[in-house]
Amino acid sequence: MNFRKVSCLVIILIGLSACSSKKEKEPENTLHIATLEKIKGLDPAMAGDLYSGDEVARAYEGLLQYHYLKRPYTLVPMLAEAMPAVSEDRKTLTFKIRKGVLFQDDPCFKETNGKGRELVAEDFIYTFKRVADSKTLSEGWWIFDSRVVGLNEWRDEGIKAGKADYAKAVEGLKAEDKYTLKIKLKEPSSQFLYYLAMTFAYVVPHEAVEMYKDDFRRNPVGTGPFVFDRKESNLNSKLIWNKNPTFRKDFYPSEGAPGDKELGLLVDAGKQLPLTDRLVVTVFVEPQPMWLNFMTGKLEISGIPKDNFDQALGADKKLHPEFEQKKIMLHKEPELDITHESFNMSDPLFAKNKFLRQALSMAMNSAQVVDLFYNGRAIAAQGPIPPGLAGYDPALKNPYREFNIEKAKELLKKAGYPNGEGLPVIEYNTLSSSTYRQITEFVEKSFGLIGVKIKVNTYTWPEFIAALKNKKGQMWGYAWVADYPDAENFLQLFYSKNVSPGPNDSNYSNPEYDKLYESSLKLTDGPQRTALYQKMVKILVDDAPWIWAVHRIKFTLSQPWTKNYKLNQLEHSMMKYLRVDTALKK
Amino acid sequence: MSAFIKGRNLWSDAWIRITKDRFALLCFITIVGYGLVAILAKFGMIAMPWDVTVGGSYQAPSLADHHLWLGTDLFGRSVLYKVIHGTRIAMSVGLMTSIIAIPIGMTLGALAGYFGGWIDDLVVWFYTTLTSIPNIMLLIAIAYVMGRGITSVYIAIGATSWVGLARVIRAEVMKHKERDYVLAASSLGASHSSRIFKHIMPNVFHQVILNFTMQFQTAIRSEVILSYLGLGVQGQPSWGVMIDDAKLELSRQVWWQLTGATLAMFILILALNIFGDTLRDALDPKVKT
Amino acid sequence: MFAYILKRILYTIPILFGVSLIVFVLFHLVGGDPTYQMVGKHSKAEQIAQLRHELGLDQSLPMQYLHYVKQIVTFDYGRSYATKQPIGEMISRGAGPSLILAIPAFIITTIAALLIALVSAYYRGRFIDKFVLISCVIGMSAPSLAYILFGQYVLAYKFGIFPISGFEAGFPEALSYVAMPAFIWLVVSMGADVRFFRNAILEETNQDYVRTARSKGLEEKVVYFKHVLKNSMIPIVTYVVIEIPFLLLGAFLLESFFGIPGLGSMTIDAINSSDFPVLKAMTTVNSILFILGTLATDILYTLVDPRVSFK
Repeated sequence: MNFRKVSCLVIILIGLSACSSKKEKEPENTLHIATLEKIKGLDPAMAGDLYSGDEVARAYEGLLQYHYLKRPYTLVPMLAEAMPAVSEDRKTLTFKIRKGVLFQDDPCFKETNGKGRELVAEDFIYTFKRVADSKTLSEGWWIFDSRVVGLNEWRDEGIKAGKADYAKAVEGLKAEDKYTLKIKLKEPSSQFLYYLAMTFAYVVPHEAVEMYKDDFRRNPVGTGPFVFDRKESNLNSKLIWNKNPTFRKDFYPSEGAPGDKELGLLVDAGKQLPLTDRLVVTVFVEPQPMWLNFMTGKLEISGIPKDNFDQALGADKKLHPEFEQKKIMLHKEPELDITHESFNMSDPLFAKNKFLRQALSMAMNSAQVVDLFYNGRAIAAQGPIPPGLAGYDPALKNPYREFNIEKAKELLKKAGYPNGEGLPVIEYNTLSSSTYRQITEFVEKSFGLIGVKIKVNTYTWPEFIAALKNKKGQMWGYAWVADYPDAENFLQLFYSKNVSPGPNDSNYSNPEYDKLYESSLKLTDGPQRTALYQKMVKILVDDAPWIWAVHRIKFTLSQPWTKNYKLNQLEHSMMKYLRVDTALKK
Repeated sequence: MSAFIKGRNLWSDAWIRITKDRFALLCFITIVGYGLVAILAKFGMIAMPWDVTVGGSYQAPSLADHHLWLGTDLFGRSVLYKVIHGTRIAMSVGLMTSIIAIPIGMTLGALAGYFGGWIDDLVVWFYTTLTSIPNIMLLIAIAYVMGRGITSVYIAIGATSWVGLARVIRAEVMKHKERDYVLAASSLGASHSSRIFKHIMPNVFHQVILNFTMQFQTAIRSEVILSYLGLGVQGQPSWGVMIDDAKLELSRQVWWQLTGATLAMFILILALNIFGDTLRDALDPKVKT
Repeated sequence: MFAYILKRILYTIPILFGVSLIVFVLFHLVGGDPTYQMVGKHSKAEQIAQLRHELGLDQSLPMQYLHYVKQIVTFDYGRSYATKQPIGEMISRGAGPSLILAIPAFIITTIAALLIALVSAYYRGRFIDKFVLISCVIGMSAPSLAYILFGQYVLAYKFGIFPISGFEAGFPEALSYVAMPAFIWLVVSMGADVRFFRNAILEETNQDYVRTARSKGLEEKVVYFKHVLKNSMIPIVTYVVIEIPFLLLGAFLLESFFGIPGLGSMTIDAINSSDFPVLKAMTTVNSILFILGTLATDILYTLVDPRVSFK
């Protein structure tokens, strides 16, 4: 009775849903991809996370970008005509801006009746000032902070006056003519060009910011390859991007890394970008539906959820035959990141006790971590620098990252706590999600092996960050993902001037290390700097401010009709290179 | 005096009804059984230690070893042991929240019903306000205020679930205070408190018992939801945490943790429901059909 | 009667005051500090202070309470910490998906439960009644999370009958996504509904006038449908109306599991990111709707049933 009614109902509902009709036909050449988080906004100044960065880069562009195919990652011009001219003292950078680049058509351009105007050097000055303006609350202020001459002063005046004065000139940012941008730095910096390639520095037109105000984050107006479909899109579920009809002359690269040609990645060399008419980005908060959509061919590219890994790949990390048959392609590359357990070195317990840190480090079995939490899709880390960056030493074997309970107990004894006796319970901060709960249980078990107990503080993400920035708690798990392809991005995490609320989350402070770090900043990329980096790593290995956990390996799959796909972890604008082989898709 | 005789009749009558109803008796025994398991687990007499590795990661259930009857979890720990300790948590949540909620509900309900006037207005205003706020949001807010952990689970659930009891007691006390025996007691010079606690309370106490069976299962359900939201029990194997874990396990074909926790919870709540119904029929003559 | 209605309307004022006070104390005083998350991973102390000022977190408590009361009155709850969107807009955008799930599920469940309760009550004590009662108790006893996980795994994942999760706006498109959560809603809430309705009907059956009607020799069917049903509708309607405001909060577990971008999943997101402005707004809006809902029922009650007098 009950059941029959219910099943009738279900049938009716299915029937109703079956006769659904699409309102508008999608272009054949549409690329469907997934993103794993709701998009916070499409304002470059706020694009602090990976996912927002990807979306921002569809509509906006910056001066520089990373070459799509070449490895190691190399900077190439984007809106700049060429790489900048650098002065003798390495403090002045002169960029020539491409001529004839247009902003996307938008009602904010009132003078031209909604037609997008040409990009000029002043736009960059406005953009950089906007990031510096304290009212913008940009997460990207650090890329300019204390680097550009006069910009900090400009920001401080704005704070004092309650309102920033954009008309006031900043000495270090100058438009010599319509197409020439001159940036003056306080100190030479080997990393500054990388900063300029980050989405924070992508150029925005002041007309749009002024017109949309708080809603600028939902009304992107850039020079980029795709135009945001504001009517059909929803930042929480689906973003639709259409090809920008006024996009500048931008061509598919004609050279790549060795082997790219054989993989067919150079077939489209020299073609005008973007190669797709539409890009549909669906937000999948849970990975399961994303996987299912990929399996039914509704997504062109997908990651492999942890739980489906065995379904796709064998123990040898190769695709199962049924995937091979479908000609699904597997892409993998180590990520430029590191996960870790931090010791709070501002806490007296850990500050002076190197042996205690080393002992705990030796009780954590990284092979098991790789296995249980990453399906083997990770490399056990020995130090801070991930593979793929100069300074990474594949031969490095961290003596304290070997899983050895006997030695760990010995070290614990040396630390003054034989078998954990006398050691207070360690306060461990963690997050409340299911995965984090499991990782925490693992930490608890590992330390339990040598008689060390922890007390778990479970937080939401904001609470977790707040605790970390206030140096609360004694240990926590965290991760760092590279902002740019220079090991300095990882080594700065241990510089004493970067302690919390800066990015040095373990509050590590070592004058010897600081000195080496500071001298490394003065060097450009080369064997000398790499040797210095390795020296710094050595200090860190011995001091063990972190338990180095893993460098993840990224695995993605693509459908056979998805052309030109190559993993690129730094270039957010990569979707402009992709193409759908419509003949093959049918 | 008449009250006492009446009371005894009600209770003994109820007891006879329940023992006659074999099904209800079975449920009662089940509940007692859960309580026993919880107590034994509490004092470490069974299923200890639960947090050691007894097999590989995600080993399927097997009859080979009692540890493995319900398989193992991610870390190779016995799911059976976790279910047993989950029982301990669930029973303690049911009990502790009742210990918090019942006195509050009884006291406020009795005060409001007995004294009426502004006291009544205040109590009614307070619980109407509380019920106007969605219960789940209140739970969440209190769990935030108290910090995470089992104590705040007790308090959050206890502090939000006394309203139903207060309402019933208030209505009953209002009815009883006009009855002859109370009026007689007051003419003999009995104080307010003696009138409330010696004369009226024994006659409305069956409502407390009925409420208890409801309270118990609401508490267990709420704990599961709080745990799912990451605001629940920490570092202990509660059913809610186990069900939450299942989110990551099902597509790996790992069904035993979900099944174990769900089944344990289902049987307990079913027993509480049926026993509660029988009790209601026995104690509350109004609904007898 | 009008005096009663007026009094009843005025009574909502102290209740609203109480709600605002409790919500403020719970969410405002203890609301976690969102600033550290908002400034990004390379943050500085100076930026944090600046942001706290922008968010008004450095104001005195009475000022913050007044600000909150202003928010209630103007329905402008400011912006979310996590998504930075205006909350009023988030609520109005989330209401659609929530209601597309909640309204059909609610209507179908109520009607089905009522029909089953009618049959069950009519044949009270017989096999079918017992069967219904037992099914209800069983249905009520399983945890709803288990239904959700099981439904998602077996029906969607294994057999692929429904999409596993997701949502598309628009009339026919949305249905395929809400079908399964709606079905689970039905299963989860059916038990309690049927039992309540059945009891309400039975209580009426035991009234004196029904016995009189029967003793007068009126046919059972006539008594049942003409008298019992009509009168038992009062508690049933009350029960149903009171549930309506809660529809907006949605079955939030369902929404979050099935990826429906409604108010329920918005609330869960807010919990996971300590997004107190959103939690506060959702709690307040729901409380107000509830107060209005009970007010409407009470007034309806007096109009329909003249027996009800004040208190």
